[in-house]
Amino acid sequence: MRLPASMQVFERGWLSANNILFSGRDGATLVDSGYVTHAPQTVALVGHALAGRALDRIVNTHLHSDHCGGNAALRHAFGSRIAIPVFEADKVRSWDEDALSYRATGQQCDRFDFDETIAPGDVLSMGDLAWQARSAPGHDPHALLFWCADEGILIAGDALWQNGFGVIFPELAGEPGFGEVRATLDVIAQLAPRLVIPGHGAPFTDVDAALQRAYSRLDYLAADPVRNAENAVKVLLKFLLIERRAIPLADVAALFETVPLLVLARERFLPRSSAELAQWAVRALEKAGAAAVRDEKLVDA
Amino acid sequence: MVPATGLCEGCMRTIDEIVAWGAASDDAKRAIWAEIRRREAQIAFD
Repeated sequence: MRLPASMQVFERGWLSANNILFSGRDGATLVDSGYVTHAPQTVALVGHALAGRALDRIVNTHLHSDHCGGNAALRHAFGSRIAIPVFEADKVRSWDEDALSYRATGQQCDRFDFDETIAPGDVLSMGDLAWQARSAPGHDPHALLFWCADEGILIAGDALWQNGFGVIFPELAGEPGFGEVRATLDVIAQLAPRLVIPGHGAPFTDVDAALQRAYSRLDYLAADPVRNAENAVKVLLKFLLIERRAIPLADVAALFETVPLLVLARERFLPRSSAELAQWAVRALEKAGAAAVRDEKLVDA
Repeated sequence: MVPATGLCEGCMRTIDEIVAWGAASDDAKRAIWAEIRRREAQIAFD
């Protein structure tokens, strides 16, 4: 796997999305900034890699909490400018936490300001390379891809991972998402990247196989929206668990009555009591090896 | 990061290792993984 010398990938985990650091004559740019509780680590990583230079700009693929949670801290540390997808501008300007998904998911994000917006079709210079922004709805209606035709490299955010893609959130609220995911996968297939840098997991070159897995996964989810809701419940609970490390079993049911997206998933797609749904979700995470029960607590595994 | 050890609590890697990871060879990653397993064995979870 060959990366241009002007770019570095910081492979993080699931709480924080990956960060891509560009350094060139056009300055230093970071694509995506991780989750807020990791912000000090993100500042340390960027500071270490830039060795005393400042981070000039932060660019976000989309504004989920695991992709922009370090924006405020990085701007504070380096005075970085911030560029966000254009359709999010009003929500960020007024810091509308409902519209920005942080309240809906029970996740946190430090408030930040922005200086620039990025529209689909715009070309950004990062690491002395030209990157075109492409629309990537599905996981998030306003998400962007960044495509470098000269290098055949795609920054995919959560639109494509080596094994799947991010939760199709719009469908939970009764908004279209399955068709959008398909259209975005079609765009990626047509670009035919040699290397994809996903929002989570290692960069990969076996793109055709990843696309085939993603199409199969999409077919499976779209065949029955309950599957998408069940997947969303598991992912949201796992995220809260990674953040908190442990959640008392007695508190899990309450999440299905207080976290708006979990409430929505239950009411629209999973008509069970919150206690029953909590029990199901705990079992599902245990079965997947994503959590364990110890001393009446659900713990991250 | 845990100040006393300089390790990320989640992935048990140092800042140096996380920065180098993206460009590291498979052998180098395996060596870090071996070190991660050693560190995990030494951690006392509460």
